[in-house]
Amino acid sequence: MSEMDKEYKILEENFDKECQVVFSSRQLEDLRVKYLGRKSALAQLFSKIPELTLQEKGVWGRQLNILKQKITTVLEEKSRAVKDEEETMDLTFPSYGKEMGSTHVLSAVSESICSILQRLGFVVVEGGEIEDEWHNFAALNIPLEHPSRDVFDTFYLNVKEKNRGKYLLRSHTSPSQIRVMRESKPPMAVISPGRVYRPDEVDATHSFMFHQIEGFAIDKDINFSHLKGVLLHLVQEFFSSDVKLRLRPHFFPFTEPSAEVDISCIICQTPNSELRTKNSGSKCSVCKDKGWLEILGCGMIHPNVLEACEIDSKQYKGFAFGMGVERIAMLKYGINDIRLFYENDVRFLDQFT
Amino acid sequence: MRFSLNFVKEFLEVDVLAKELASLLTMSGIEVEHFQAEGNDWVFDIEVTTNRYDWLSIIGISREIASCLHQKLKIKYPKIKRTRLLKEKKIIIEDRNDCSFYVGSMIKGVTVNSSPSWLSQRVQHCSVNSINNIVDITNYCMLKWGNPLHAFDADKIEGDIYIRRAKTDESFVGIDDKERKLNKDNLVIADNRKVIALAGVIGAKNTEVDERTKNIFLEAAVFSPLTVRRSRRAAGIDTDSSYRFERRVSADYLEYAVGCAVQLIEKVGSGQFMGICAGGSKSSLKNKKITISLSKLNDYLGEIFSNSRVKSILSNLDFDVKEISRDKLTVRAPSFRFDVNREVDVYEEFSRVYGYNNITPSIPFLRNQIQDDQMYKFKNHLRRILPLLGLREIVTVGIDGEQNLTKLEQKKCITIVNPLKQQDNALRTTLLSGMIKSIKHNLNRDQHNVKFFEIANIYFKDKNGYCEEPVLSMGTSGFREDFFRLKGVIEGLLKYLNIEDINFIDKGKPNFTNALRVVSGQKEIGFLGKLDKKIGEAFDLKEEVYFSSLDINFLKKLHKQKKYKSVSAYPIISRDISIALAKTVKFEDVQQIIKEKAAQLLSGVSVVDVYEGADVPKNCSVFTLRIFYQAQDRTLLSSDAAVLHDSVREALAGKDGIDLR
Ligand SMILES: [Zn+2]
Repeated sequence: MSEMDKEYKILEENFDKECQVVFSSRQLEDLRVKYLGRKSALAQLFSKIPELTLQEKGVWGRQLNILKQKITTVLEEKSRAVKDEEETMDLTFPSYGKEMGSTHVLSAVSESICSILQRLGFVVVEGGEIEDEWHNFAALNIPLEHPSRDVFDTFYLNVKEKNRGKYLLRSHTSPSQIRVMRESKPPMAVISPGRVYRPDEVDATHSFMFHQIEGFAIDKDINFSHLKGVLLHLVQEFFSSDVKLRLRPHFFPFTEPSAEVDISCIICQTPNSELRTKNSGSKCSVCKDKGWLEILGCGMIHPNVLEACEIDSKQYKGFAFGMGVERIAMLKYGINDIRLFYENDVRFLDQFT
Repeated sequence: MRFSLNFVKEFLEVDVLAKELASLLTMSGIEVEHFQAEGNDWVFDIEVTTNRYDWLSIIGISREIASCLHQKLKIKYPKIKRTRLLKEKKIIIEDRNDCSFYVGSMIKGVTVNSSPSWLSQRVQHCSVNSINNIVDITNYCMLKWGNPLHAFDADKIEGDIYIRRAKTDESFVGIDDKERKLNKDNLVIADNRKVIALAGVIGAKNTEVDERTKNIFLEAAVFSPLTVRRSRRAAGIDTDSSYRFERRVSADYLEYAVGCAVQLIEKVGSGQFMGICAGGSKSSLKNKKITISLSKLNDYLGEIFSNSRVKSILSNLDFDVKEISRDKLTVRAPSFRFDVNREVDVYEEFSRVYGYNNITPSIPFLRNQIQDDQMYKFKNHLRRILPLLGLREIVTVGIDGEQNLTKLEQKKCITIVNPLKQQDNALRTTLLSGMIKSIKHNLNRDQHNVKFFEIANIYFKDKNGYCEEPVLSMGTSGFREDFFRLKGVIEGLLKYLNIEDINFIDKGKPNFTNALRVVSGQKEIGFLGKLDKKIGEAFDLKEEVYFSSLDINFLKKLHKQKKYKSVSAYPIISRDISIALAKTVKFEDVQQIIKEKAAQLLSGVSVVDVYEGADVPKNCSVFTLRIFYQAQDRTLLSSDAAVLHDSVREALAGKDGIDLR
């Protein structure tokens, strides 16, 4: 073997060996200088070519060029690998934070109830929160001085009275419905969501402000069975399809007949309730083992109300219902204190994202 | 109200379990809230609706139970001794509208003692305290028949009995030992010298029955519901007696209640009945006949009922039912039913007993002459957009303190006549206070990153009386939150709403440092700013708060349907300029100059670099702008762009306070 052969072999072997231990671009650059630079072993081999015989010149020229090509290719590949390696970071480091917004659970519940009803043909009409006595009471067949008014205790406002009695904060959303009934002609089917106010001392189940959704439908052939159908559909869509409905006779001045509506307890009466585990074994803390939960009030619209709205009560009939959004949200999500809705603790809001 | 099962058994055999009875009553409209055993008795807590005064007595409850169980009541009516008239006392009723009927009975020689156990148990099981045999007898009879009675110590009454309105500032000490100043709203029972009872509400201390009492004057009466209601509200008191009178008391059983009480006082208190004196008259009005149509009933309830079913249910409720034709019935409700006046009231009674739950549900085909409220839709749209911009919705109450509000907003507050607390006496004129409270709540609990929005109404006085307007408020605080991020949120919102012609104008706002007004044309639609330190301190806020308020009515008006504009297919040429801007000049001015000079060929401007460091001159900001030039109809030559860009540079360089670098 000639000297040239030996050097060539060593060069190739060394390069292969040294390549294995290169991990950074810096080492790679050193390697490049060492094997491809002007003073590299390869360059020295090339410089020996002029001393060779004509035949050897041709053979070595080709061979050295192949080696140079090989080294170049390997270094390029190595370079790409090293760069990839260097870009790898500690991916377990926390992100910049999630920029998540959310709608309030009360808005979400209200919107979901409204849209179930909208799909049945109801339209949504909101109304003002400042009302007068006529719309809040008289038109609804609630005498101003009567025990039936006691549940509608009201905040009165220092606003100069006009022809419809004193101004107040509406104690239910019904006055908005009275406005629709007076301003439009039947047939109509309307729901009114919104804030209402009653001077109740604040505790875990009372707030002086809360939200209601009330609905009514008036047409020539509306009847009590329709009321039941609409409510059954509503609770089964909103809670779950195995929820049962129960109507208990009650009294509201603005409906006749009137009923309070219960659903079968979503904790202890639903076989696979996720909320069930909280109470397993002991007494059901939600329905107090009654098996039923009161969720809304309803009835056929009293003819006095239709007449107050100049609707012919001989031709038209209607049903109406109303519910508290907070109560429904509390039942649906197992929230045990109404005050949580208005504190707006991020840890509360975040759960309804 | 509370009643006891043993008491009911005075009228009716009941052989169902208490639990069954509770559910029967609940399903017939007397909601049993709770029931429990008391010795050999059961007591039931019930809710009696305001239309059913007749359920405020054991006889009424028993009647309902009898109807549920298809039984008849066994009533032993007490003997009425109305013949013996008492000459020594006159009853003078000032106004028959206040009191239509008044009966006084004299019983002499009684022994006041504690009650026998059966009697004290009866009243106690109905949540009435046992006082002594005489008082317990009056309460027992009230509970049993529904008519409140009152026993006076007859020897403490001076002269005749007057039922009259109180004089202004007349004073009165009740048997509850409280002194009250009376006025014309109070109906009183008086003798020749003094007030001896607040009519229908509470007796006076001065004629109270005690262990020395020998002679009893027993009162039974029918007082006007409205009068008693006003009177007891004015006096700030609510009693078992006023509760019943307010809901109307019938004269039907009045004499039984009196007869029953007299008999018991004779028996238990060993007194002797001397005679009665009366004023007014016992009006026992029959209810009017109501004609109902079976087909209408079916239409109303949405189910077909047989003629015989309707008749049997109504008859079982003691209604007088006559058949006129196959379709028509006439119905007369019993006299104790004040609540049955129209056809619908009969439908109600029928369906109540038939069972609401036996009526088949069906889905109606709903028709409408009206459309969805556009404002509701728009607000829901906002509720969907804002969370996408990273904001969380909050809900805060609309009532606040006038003092707080006037600190935050110049608009005139609407105050509340009857606030729950004096510090919460007005309707909010701004959503800022609710935002501050919510942010503070979180900061105080180490929740530092908050980005909130609220959609709610504000209320204020204006020349038409009052105004109520929907507002969107946004508030941010915490790490990485600053003025420009909030500004970006607003820009994002405007983008979503496709609102274009909006300007931010640097014009101060009270209570805010660094406030921008958000303006469309001449109209200010809101603002954003950093809350002033003073306000922050006043509300005990520990961090900077950025706040914005936007008028939703305006946003809705400006909000436009999206429409596609074609995107230019020609290339964009960009050129950079580095600028040092003195504090005296605003970025807005730079933008204005570029807009003027580059006009139609300008497709955008953005800040690509901001310099900080030692070589930045004092009171200057240094940044690089990239200006994008583009033509809509041709490929812009770089020479065209160069000409334009040079004129921009020239104009900028010519302005005081702008240095090109
Ligand atoms: Zn339960």
